Amino acid sequence: MRVSSGTIFDANVSTLNHQQSTLLHTNQQVASGRRMLTPADDPAAAANALQVFQADGSNSQFMINRNAAKSAASMSEAVLQSVTNLLTGVKEKAVQAGNGALSPTDKEMIATELQGRLDELVALANSTDGTGNYLFSGFQGKTLPFLNTPSGVQYMADDGQRLVQVSTSRKMATSESGADIFMRIKSGNGTFVTESSPNNSGYATVGEGVVLNPKLLTGSTYKLTFTSDSTYDVTDEKGVLISTANQYESGEALVFPGMRVSMTGTPDAGDEFTIAPSRNEGLFKTLADLIAAIKAENPAGTAASSAQLTSHLSKAISGIDRGLDRVLTVRASLGTRLNELDSLQATGEDLGLQYKQTLATLQDLDYNKAISDLNRQTTSLQAAQKSFKQVADLSMFNYM
Amino acid sequence: MPSGVMGSTVSALSAAQIGLQTTGHNIANANTQGYSRQEVLTGTRLPQYTGGGYLGQGVDVNTVKRAYSQFLNGQVLSEQSQAAMLNTYHAQIQQIDNVIADPDAGISPAVQEFFSAVNNVAAAPESQPARQAMINTGNALTARFQSLSQRFIDVNNSVGSQIENSISLVNSAAKQIAALNHNIVMQQAGSGQPPNDLLDQRDQLVAKLNTEVKATVVRQSDGAYNVFIGNGQSLVVGASAYTLDIAQSPADPSKQDIVYNNLNGTKTTLQQSSLQGGNLGGFLTFRDETLAKSQNTLGRVAMGIAGLMNQQHQLGQDLNGALGENFFTQPNPPVFANTLNKGNAAVSATIANAAGYAALTGSDYFLRFNGENSYTLRRLSDNKEMHFDAGLPDEPIDGLTLSTTEGAMPGDTYMIRPTVNAARDIGVALTDPAKIAAALPFRTNAPLSNQGTGRIATGAVDKKLMLNSPDSAHSATDRALQNEVKLTFTSPTTFDIFDQTAGVPLATGMNYVPGQDISVNGWTTKITGDPAAGDEFTVGPNLNATADGSNILLMADLQTKNTLGAANGGGPTLTFQSAYSQWVSDIGNKTHELQVTSTAQTSMAEETVAAQQAFSGVNLDEEAANLMRYQRAYQAAGKAMQIANTLFDTVLGIGR
Repeated sequence: MRVSSGTIFDANVSTLNHQQSTLLHTNQQVASGRRMLTPADDPAAAANALQVFQADGSNSQFMINRNAAKSAASMSEAVLQSVTNLLTGVKEKAVQAGNGALSPTDKEMIATELQGRLDELVALANSTDGTGNYLFSGFQGKTLPFLNTPSGVQYMADDGQRLVQVSTSRKMATSESGADIFMRIKSGNGTFVTESSPNNSGYATVGEGVVLNPKLLTGSTYKLTFTSDSTYDVTDEKGVLISTANQYESGEALVFPGMRVSMTGTPDAGDEFTIAPSRNEGLFKTLADLIAAIKAENPAGTAASSAQLTSHLSKAISGIDRGLDRVLTVRASLGTRLNELDSLQATGEDLGLQYKQTLATLQDLDYNKAISDLNRQTTSLQAAQKSFKQVADLSMFNYM
Repeated sequence: MPSGVMGSTVSALSAAQIGLQTTGHNIANANTQGYSRQEVLTGTRLPQYTGGGYLGQGVDVNTVKRAYSQFLNGQVLSEQSQAAMLNTYHAQIQQIDNVIADPDAGISPAVQEFFSAVNNVAAAPESQPARQAMINTGNALTARFQSLSQRFIDVNNSVGSQIENSISLVNSAAKQIAALNHNIVMQQAGSGQPPNDLLDQRDQLVAKLNTEVKATVVRQSDGAYNVFIGNGQSLVVGASAYTLDIAQSPADPSKQDIVYNNLNGTKTTLQQSSLQGGNLGGFLTFRDETLAKSQNTLGRVAMGIAGLMNQQHQLGQDLNGALGENFFTQPNPPVFANTLNKGNAAVSATIANAAGYAALTGSDYFLRFNGENSYTLRRLSDNKEMHFDAGLPDEPIDGLTLSTTEGAMPGDTYMIRPTVNAARDIGVALTDPAKIAAALPFRTNAPLSNQGTGRIATGAVDKKLMLNSPDSAHSATDRALQNEVKLTFTSPTTFDIFDQTAGVPLATGMNYVPGQDISVNGWTTKITGDPAAGDEFTVGPNLNATADGSNILLMADLQTKNTLGAANGGGPTLTFQSAYSQWVSDIGNKTHELQVTSTAQTSMAEETVAAQQAFSGVNLDEEAANLMRYQRAYQAAGKAMQIANTLFDTVLGIGR
C-alpha cells in the first residue's frame, strides 16, 4: 500500500495526542483522588452520588436534630425528676402534719417548709433550657409559663408541642405543655370531688368516694345539708331540693347516681358537704391549699378543726398522688422518646457510614488501579515516541 | 537519420526535465495542505512511415495530472464535517460538564446547606443567629443559581460570537471559491489543460467550508463548482457568491438566527436545524438543544424551590405575629410576543399552585393564534400540539395558566419559556430574620376550666387554601386564619363555632364526633375525648410563639419530598435534588456520548484522510525514486544526443 509521508507524521501526532490526554486524565485522577473528574466520566454514578450526598447531608442534619431533641428531653426529664422528689417530700410532710401530737409550732414549721417547697416547685416549673427558653411554656418560649398572682399560680403559656425532625419520617415532640403536667390535674378522685364546708362545727369527715357506674353519672353537684346529726337534705347546683330527711349513720355509705361516698363522724345540724364533678386543680393550688389548711388549724386540737384538717390533708395527699401520677406518666413518655432517640441515633450512625461507603465507592479513586494505569500509559507513550522517531528518521534521501 | 535521433532525444530530454520539475514540485509541496501529488503523463509521438516500417519519433508530454479521487475526497469532506460538528459540540458541552462536576460550583452543596439552616431554625425557632443563617444560606443558594445561570449566559454569548466567526469564515470561503471558479473556467477553456494547483486550492477551500457547515458541491461541465448549504440554498453559483448573516430572532429576543442574504436585498431566516455538520452545526445544536435545555432545567429547580418554599412560608407566622411573606423573590414565566405580530395582545403565563410547580416540564412552548378564539400550543420538547377552539383554557397546561388580553390578529405567535430565566431571577426577598414565618399562624387552646376530658389538636393550615399570590398582599380570607374562634360545647355531643374577631357565628349545633376534622377559616383541627357541656376550646393567633417551628418544619420537609416532575397528571416524582441530579446525569451522559462519538468520528475522519492521502499525498521515498528515474532518463537521453552528435560529425567528416 502506498503511504503518504505526511500521513506518517499526522498519524503519529494524533496517537501521541490521544495518549497524552489519557495520561493527563489519569494524572488528574491521581492528583485529585476522584474517580469521576466530570459527570461525563460516569453519568449514572455522578447523579447517584448527588442523591447519596443529599441523603448523607440530611442524615447528618437529623443527627444534629436528634442531639437537640435529646438535650431538650433530658433537661425536661431532669426537672421532672426533681419535681417527683419534691412531691414525694411534700407528701411525707402532709402525712406528718396529720399527726395529732404535733404542737402548733411544729405545724407552723411544716407549713413554712411546705411554702418553701411550693416556691421551689414554681421555680422548677419555670425552668429554662440552655438558650433561655422556658421548658414548659408550649410555643411561647420566652413567656414565663407559671406566674404567681394573688389568686394563686396562673398558667400564662399554651399547649403547643415543639417538634423536631429526628428522622426522615419522624417529627418528635421535644416539649411538654406545662398545663398538662402541673395544671390539668383532676381534683378529688378524678371524676368527682367531695368537700366539707369550712364553717362546719361537727366533726364528720367525708371520704374521697368511688365511681360505681360511669354511665349513671349526671355531672350534677349535690349539696348535703344536715338538719340534725342523723338527717340531711340534698339539693343540686341550682338549689333545687332533690331529697329530704335522709337518714345518716356514721360509716355508712351514701349513694348518689353512679357514685358512692363514705362518711364518718358526727355532724352538727347545719353542717354542709358537697359532691361535685372534678375540676382541673393545679399542683400549686393543691400545695397552697395544704399550707393554708395547716396554718388555718386554729385553735388546734378541737374535734371539728381536726376533722377539717384530716379532710384537707387527705384531699391534698390524693391531689399530690394524682400529680405524681401525671409527672411519672410524662417522665415515662420522655423516657420512651429518649430510648427512641438512642436507637434512631444508632441507626443514623450506621446509615451515615453506609452513605459514606457508597459515596466512596461512587466517587473515590482506586489508587492501585490508577497508579498501574499511569505506569502503563507512561510506558506506552514512551514507546510511541521512540517508534515515531525511528520511523521519521527513515528516508531514501539518507542514501542519495 | 541523425536528425531523427536528435528529434526524439530532444523530446526525451524535455520529458525527463518536465518529470524532474514535477517531482521537484511534489517534493516542494509535500507538506502543503490539500496538495495532490502530480504526475507526468507521456505518450509516444506519431511515428514516421518509412519503407522499413513506422519509425518512432520520440516522446510527447501529454499532460501533468494530479492524483485526485472525487470519491475519496467526498468521503473526507463528509467525515470531516461530521467530526468538526461533534468535536465542537463536545468542546462546548464540556464547559457545562466541568461546572456541574465541581463540588463547589454545583448547586447541591448550597441546597444542602440551605436546608440545614432551615432545620436549624426549626430546632431553635427563636434563635436570631439561626434565622440569620437561613437568610444567608438562602442568599448563597440563590447566588449559586445566579452564577450558574450567568455561566450559561456567558457560554451563550461566546457561542454567539463563535457562530458569527463561523459565518464569516463561510462567507469568505464562498467568496474565494467563486473567484477560483472564475479563474479555473478561464484557464481550462484557454489551454484545455487542468490548472491542477488551482483545483487543489479550490478543493481545500471546499474542505474548509465543510468544517464550518455541511455543504454540497455540484461540479459543472465547465469546471466550476456550485455549492449549496442547508435545504439547498446556493452559496456559490459559478463565479458569484452569496452570503449568510446573523439577525435577532423575531420569536425570541434572546436568540440570534442565521439568515440568508437574497440577491434582492431581503433576508430569509434559515431553518436552524437544516444547518447540519461542521463547527456551525455543532454550535447550533449545542445552543438550541443542550444550552437551552440546561437553562430551562436549572430554572425549573429554581422556580420550584422559590414557589414551593414561598407557598409554605406564606402559610406560617413570623415573629411579629404576621402571616409569612415570600421568602424568595418569585421568578415569573416570561412570554415573548413575536416582533412580527400584527396584533397587540399580551399573553401571560402564571403558575397557580404547588401542583403547577410539580407539572412544569422545563420545555418551551410556541403559541399561535389562529383567529376566532382558536389557539394552537406546541410543546417544543416533543412537538406535541394542543388545539383550543374556545379561547385559552382556564385549567393549567403543564402547570401554566395562560391568559391573554384582547387584540390578537390571526397568525400572531408567542414564545413561552416558563423557566428560562428562573435561575437568573431567583433571590432572597426577606432581609429581616424576624420575618421568617417559622410558627403556625394560629394556636388551639383548651381552658383549664373545662370539666370534660376533651383535647384539641394543634391543627394545621388547610392546604386547599391557595395563598401564592406573588405580588399582592394576603387577602382578607387569608387573614381569617388568625381570627379568634371559640368552639363551645352546648352538650357533650354538640357544639357551636363562633368567630369572635368577625363577630359572626360560623356554625351552630354541630354534631361532635371524636377525632373528626373541624375546618374553619382555612385551618383544620380535631377534638378528641369527652368534653362536658359548657366546655370551650379556642383557636386564635399564635402570639409570642417564639418556640414554635411547626411551619418551618414543613418547609424543611420540602427538601426530601417529591415536589417536581409530575407528568401527565400523575403525582410529583422528583425532589429538588433529584431534578437537579437528573439534569447532571443528562449532561454527563450527553458529554460522555459526544466524547465517544467525537473520538470515533475523528478517527474515522483520520482513516479517510489517510486513505485519501494514500492516493493523493506525496511519498518522499517515491519522489526520491522518481528523481533518480528522471535523472537516469535525462542521462540516457543526453548519451543518445552525444551519439547522434558523433554520428553527425562522422557524416560531416565524409566530405573532408
